[in-house]
Amino acid sequence: MTTVNLKVKRYDPETKESRYQEYSIDVDENAALLDAIIAVREYQDPTLAVRCSCRSAICGSCGMRVNGHARLACKTKLAEIAPNGETVTVEPMGNMKPIKDLVTDMTAFWDKVKQIQPWLRAQQPPPDHEHIAKPDAMMDLAGTMNCIMCGCCVSDCASLEVDQNFIGPAALAKAYRFVGDPRETEQARDDRLKELSKYGGVWDCTHCFECVQVCPKDVAPMDRILDLRRTAMEAGYQDNYGAKHSNSFAKSVKNSGWLNEARVAVESFGVDDVSAQLKMLPTGVRALLRGKMPPLLHHKRPGSEHVKRIFQEMEND
Amino acid sequence: MRYAYYPGCVAQGGAPELFQAMKLVGERLGFSLEHLKEAACTGAGVLQERDPELGDALNARTFAMAERRGLPIMTICSTCQGVMSQANHRLTKDANYREFINQYLKPEGLEYQGDVEIKHFMWVLVEDYGLDRLKEQVKRPLTGVALAPFYGCYVLRPTSQLGYDEHPERGTYLEQIITALGGVAVDFEGKSRCCGFPILTMNRDNSLKMAGKHLLDAKGQGADVMVTPCPLCHLNLDGQQPEAEKILKTQINLPVIHLPQMVGLALGLEPRAVGLNRHITSARRFAAKVPA
Amino acid sequence: MPEHDVLIVGAGLAGMRAGIESFRNGVDVAIITKVHPVRSHSNAAQGGINAAMGGEGSDDSWEIHAYDTVKGSDWLGDQDAIEIMAREAPQDIYELEHMGVIFARDEYGRLTTRNFGGASRQRTFFVADITGQAILHVMHEQVLKSGMRVYEEWFVLSLIKQDGACVGVVAMDIISGAVEVIRAKAVVLATGGIGRVYEPSTNGLICTGDGHALAYRIGAPMMDMEMVQYHPTTLKGNGALLTEGARGEGAYLINSEGDRFMKTYAPSKMELASRDVVSRSEITEIQEGRGVDGCVFLDCRHLGEKLIMERLGQIYELALEFANVDMVKDPVPVRPGMHYIMGGVKTDVDGATQIPGLYAAGEGANISIHGGNRLGANSLLETVVFGRRAGAAAAEYAQQSGAHPAAPESDLIEAQCQKFQMLMDRPDPGFTTAKLRLEMGVSMDKNVSVYRDEAGMQETLKTLQDLRARFDKICVHDKGKVYNWNLYSTLEMENMLDVAEAIVVSALARKESRGAHARLDYTERDDDEWLKHTLVYHSPEGPLIDFSPVTITQWPPERRVY
Repeated sequence: MTTVNLKVKRYDPETKESRYQEYSIDVDENAALLDAIIAVREYQDPTLAVRCSCRSAICGSCGMRVNGHARLACKTKLAEIAPNGETVTVEPMGNMKPIKDLVTDMTAFWDKVKQIQPWLRAQQPPPDHEHIAKPDAMMDLAGTMNCIMCGCCVSDCASLEVDQNFIGPAALAKAYRFVGDPRETEQARDDRLKELSKYGGVWDCTHCFECVQVCPKDVAPMDRILDLRRTAMEAGYQDNYGAKHSNSFAKSVKNSGWLNEARVAVESFGVDDVSAQLKMLPTGVRALLRGKMPPLLHHKRPGSEHVKRIFQEMEND
Repeated sequence: MRYAYYPGCVAQGGAPELFQAMKLVGERLGFSLEHLKEAACTGAGVLQERDPELGDALNARTFAMAERRGLPIMTICSTCQGVMSQANHRLTKDANYREFINQYLKPEGLEYQGDVEIKHFMWVLVEDYGLDRLKEQVKRPLTGVALAPFYGCYVLRPTSQLGYDEHPERGTYLEQIITALGGVAVDFEGKSRCCGFPILTMNRDNSLKMAGKHLLDAKGQGADVMVTPCPLCHLNLDGQQPEAEKILKTQINLPVIHLPQMVGLALGLEPRAVGLNRHITSARRFAAKVPA
Repeated sequence: MPEHDVLIVGAGLAGMRAGIESFRNGVDVAIITKVHPVRSHSNAAQGGINAAMGGEGSDDSWEIHAYDTVKGSDWLGDQDAIEIMAREAPQDIYELEHMGVIFARDEYGRLTTRNFGGASRQRTFFVADITGQAILHVMHEQVLKSGMRVYEEWFVLSLIKQDGACVGVVAMDIISGAVEVIRAKAVVLATGGIGRVYEPSTNGLICTGDGHALAYRIGAPMMDMEMVQYHPTTLKGNGALLTEGARGEGAYLINSEGDRFMKTYAPSKMELASRDVVSRSEITEIQEGRGVDGCVFLDCRHLGEKLIMERLGQIYELALEFANVDMVKDPVPVRPGMHYIMGGVKTDVDGATQIPGLYAAGEGANISIHGGNRLGANSLLETVVFGRRAGAAAAEYAQQSGAHPAAPESDLIEAQCQKFQMLMDRPDPGFTTAKLRLEMGVSMDKNVSVYRDEAGMQETLKTLQDLRARFDKICVHDKGKVYNWNLYSTLEMENMLDVAEAIVVSALARKESRGAHARLDYTERDDDEWLKHTLVYHSPEGPLIDFSPVTITQWPPERRVY
C-alpha cells in the first residue's frame, strides 16, 4: 500500500462555486488514479461526484484534468505521475461546464458529434451480403474507431477554448471515419467535405497537437483533421482561407526553396479580398517601421531547383 | 560545439533580429555553426498536411546535408524542430520508407542514412553546453527580472516524437535557462499552449484571442517580458500584439523576446546588438530593468 | 408527464437494437439509460460475434452453430431459441456491416473470421479486439440518426404495474435529481449484467443487475440464476478481461512448468474448450501447485508482434498498463474471473416476460440461449438477434394496446421522494453501502464461483441476510439533488442484494453439476433429475424456487467432452 495525496477541484451545483479539497488515501502500489478517487468516494467522502465504469479505458467515462492535462483516470498510473507521493491535482475536463465536481456537461460535445451526421451514408438499398471493401482502407479506419468519445481531446483543445463554434477534434476525427470509409457514396463524401471546409470546420484547427498528446487511445484527432484538409482540397474545396494559405505556402517553397512570408500573407486571403488585406495592413506597416518587413524581393535558395524537382516528381507520382 | 545550422525561414525573413542575436550568442559561447544555406523550408506542418511524403523528402534532404558533414543539426525555431523531429521519427524507424524517400534525393547525389540528431538551441544549451557552464559566462545576470517562458507547441508535443523518453525535462528547459541566467521564471497557464499563429490567416479572431489570452495571463502573473524559442509564436505574440489588443479591447503591452536575445543580454551583449529595438511591442522598459 | 409507446431501459447493444427495431415499426420509442449509451458495458466485449455463414471451404451451418451452443450450454439452453439465433445470425451480421461496423476483412474485401472457444468451426466475426465497442458506437450512430428520445443518465427506480401489466417506469434524472413517471405501453428491459454482485469482476461499475431486480419485484421470475460464468483469462492485478480471441488467434495457456495443461482436460479443443471447462482446469492447476501467485499464464509470444498489434492491440495495452507485462515478450499472468451471468429475467423467444407489456433482452434476459455456459461471441450475437426481436414484439404489443391508462403519478413520485428522504435522515450506522457491497462481493466470489458446495453457499446466504439487515440501516450522506452517487449507488445495492440472493438460492437448489455450476458435493450432471430450468420468484417471505422444462428439439443430451 502507498499513500496518495489528491487535490480535487470541486464544483458545488447549488452555490455554483468551485473550491479545491485535499484528500489522502491508501491504495495499492499499482493503483490507477481512478482507484484512488473511487476509494475516496467509497471510504472518505461519498459526496464526491465522478463518472466511471469499466476501469480499463474502454467506456470513456473518467476523462478529467490531471495536473493540468486531460487524461482517463483509469489509465493514469499513480506510480508514474506521483512516484514520490507528490500531490496530484485533479480537475474536471476543460471546455465544458461542470455539473458537479468532476462530472461535466457533455451536451455540447455530443451536439457537435451530431452536427457531422455521424452515420454511414452508403448506397441504398444495401447489397444482399456485406459491402466489399479493401482491408487496408478498413484497417486505416480502425484507428479512428478506437475513439471512445471520452472528451479528453475536446477538454484541452486550444481552438475551442476561444471559439465554441469549432466542431472540435473528437467530432472531426469521427467525420474522417466516414469520409475515409470506402462504403460511403461519392455524394455523401462530397457533402461532408463541403460542410467541413466552412467556418468552424477543419481549417479552424490551430495545429497545436494538444489532442494528439492527450488522446488515451492514440486516435491522433489532429492528424485526422489534416487528412480531412487534404481530402477536401483534393475534392476541390479550395475557395477558403485555409486552402489559399496552403496553396500559396506550397507555391512559395516549390519555387524558391523557402517561405516568402510577405507574399504568403497576401495570397492567403486572395489579392481581391480587400477587407482582409486591410486588416493585415497595420501589421505590415509596423514591421516595416521596425526594419523587419521580409524582403519584398524574395531570393531563391541555392539548390532550389532540386526542391522544385522533388515537388514535381512527387506531384506526378 | 559544431552544428549544421538550420535557422529556418522566419529568422531569415520577418525576424532578422533572431538571426542576428543567435550569430552573436553563438560566437560568445564558442559554437561553430555551419549554415545549411541550401536547405529548404521544413514545410512547417503546412506541406505535411498536403503531402506527408513531400515534407519528409524535403527534410530528409536537409538531414542528408548535415549527415554528409557529420554534424548534428541545430535550429532556433520550435516549429522547425518539431517538424524535423517528426520527419526524422518516420525516417529512422522504417528503413523501407527511408529508402523510398531517398529515391527523390538521389539526383542531387544525396542520401539520408538515418543518423542525424536535430536539436533546438534550447536543448543544446541544456544538454550539450550545460547550464553550469552557461552560468559561468553570465556577465549581466537578469536579477529581478520576471520572464514568462512560452515554448511553442512543436517542441512540446507529441512527446513521443520529441525525445522526451530520453530527456523527460525538455518541457522545463526554458525555466531552467531563465534561472541559470539569474532571472525569475514566471509560471502561467498558457506557457505550453498554442500562440494561435497557425490560424492567423484562416481565423484571425481566434488566432488573436489565443495570443492575447496568454500574454495577459503572463502579465497577470507579473511578467516583465515573455521569452520564446519559436519565431512563429513571436510573430503572433509580438507582431500581432496591437491587433490582439484591439480584439480583446484591452491594453497588453508585454514585450516578447527571442531565446537567443535573452541569452545574449545575460552574456553582456548590448540590447541594440541583439535587436531588442526591433520589436513591435517596445522592449525598452524591460531592457532598462536588466542590471548593467 | 412523458409518454411513449415503447420505452427501452438500458442503452447497451440489446437496448439500442431494440429501440431501432421499435422505431422501424413506426411507434414512438424512447430509451432511458443510467449512463450515456456509449458508456454501456457492451463496449467491453472484445473478441467477436458468431454467425455460421459457411463460405469458401467451410462446411459450417446454422445447425452446427446451434449444436455447439447446445453443447456449450451443457444442454440447459432451450433449443428452439438457440435455433432461431443460429439461423438469423448471418442476416444480423450483414445488417451490422451495412450500418457501418468495420469488421475485419480478408484480402478480397470480404468479412473474415477467427476461432473461438467451444466452437467446432471458425465463425467469429470481429473488429480487432474491440468488437463490442465498434458495434456499440455504430448502434449509437443509428440511434442518433433516428432522432429518438434518449433519457441519458436517468436511473429507473421501479416499474409501474397496473391491472397486471407493465405500463411505465418511475425514474430519477441523475443530473437534476428530479423524479418522474414515464408512461409506456410496453417496456423493454435491457439493463445488462450483474458483475458488481461479485468482487472482483470483469464488469464495469454500472453492472448492478437493475433490470433483474426491477422485473423480479413486480413478479417476473428470474431463470437459471445459478449459472455465473468465470472467464478463464482475466488479468492478475485489476482483473481486466483479456479476450478469448487471443486463444482464438492461437495463444496458449501454460502453467508454472511451462506446460500447455489443457491437454489433460480437453485434449481435442485444448485452450478453446468452453469457458467453464477452461476455468475449472485453471483452478485445478493452481490448487495442485502449478500456478504462480494464484495465476496461470496466457502465452502469446509465438503469435508475433504484428498479429498482436493488429488484432490484440487493446489487450496488449491492458497487460502493459495494468500488469507491466509486454505480451510480445512475456507470458501474461491470468486467472478465472467473474464475467457474465447466463441467468436472467425469463422470456420467450420474442423477449416477452410473464408480465404483459414487459420485455427483456440481452444479458439481463434469459431466453435461454446459454443455458449452463455461454460460448464466447454468442453474447454480442444474442444482443442483436433478440434485441431486434424484443423491439419488434414490444412495438407490436404497443400498437395493439389502447391509450395510456391513467395512474396516480404523484403518489408514485411522492413514495420515491419519501424513501430518499428517509435514507438521508437516518443516523450514520458506522458503515457504508460500499462496505456492504464489498462484503457481498467477496463472499459471492469465495463461495458461489467456479466450484461450489452446500456449506459455502449456506455461509454466503447467511452473509446476505446479515447484509440485508445492515442495509436497512444505511444512511445516504450526500443530501444534494444533483448527481447524487451516494443515493443511486445505494439503490443499486438494493437491487444487487435481491440478485445475489436469487443466485445463491438457485445454486443451492440445483443439486448437480452442469455448465458453470460445478458442485463439489454433487459432481455429476444428472439429466434424469435436473434437465430443467430453475425459476426464482420474489415474495415478501423471500425467494421462491420453481422449475420449468428445457426445450429439446433435435439434440438430445450427450456426454460433454472437448
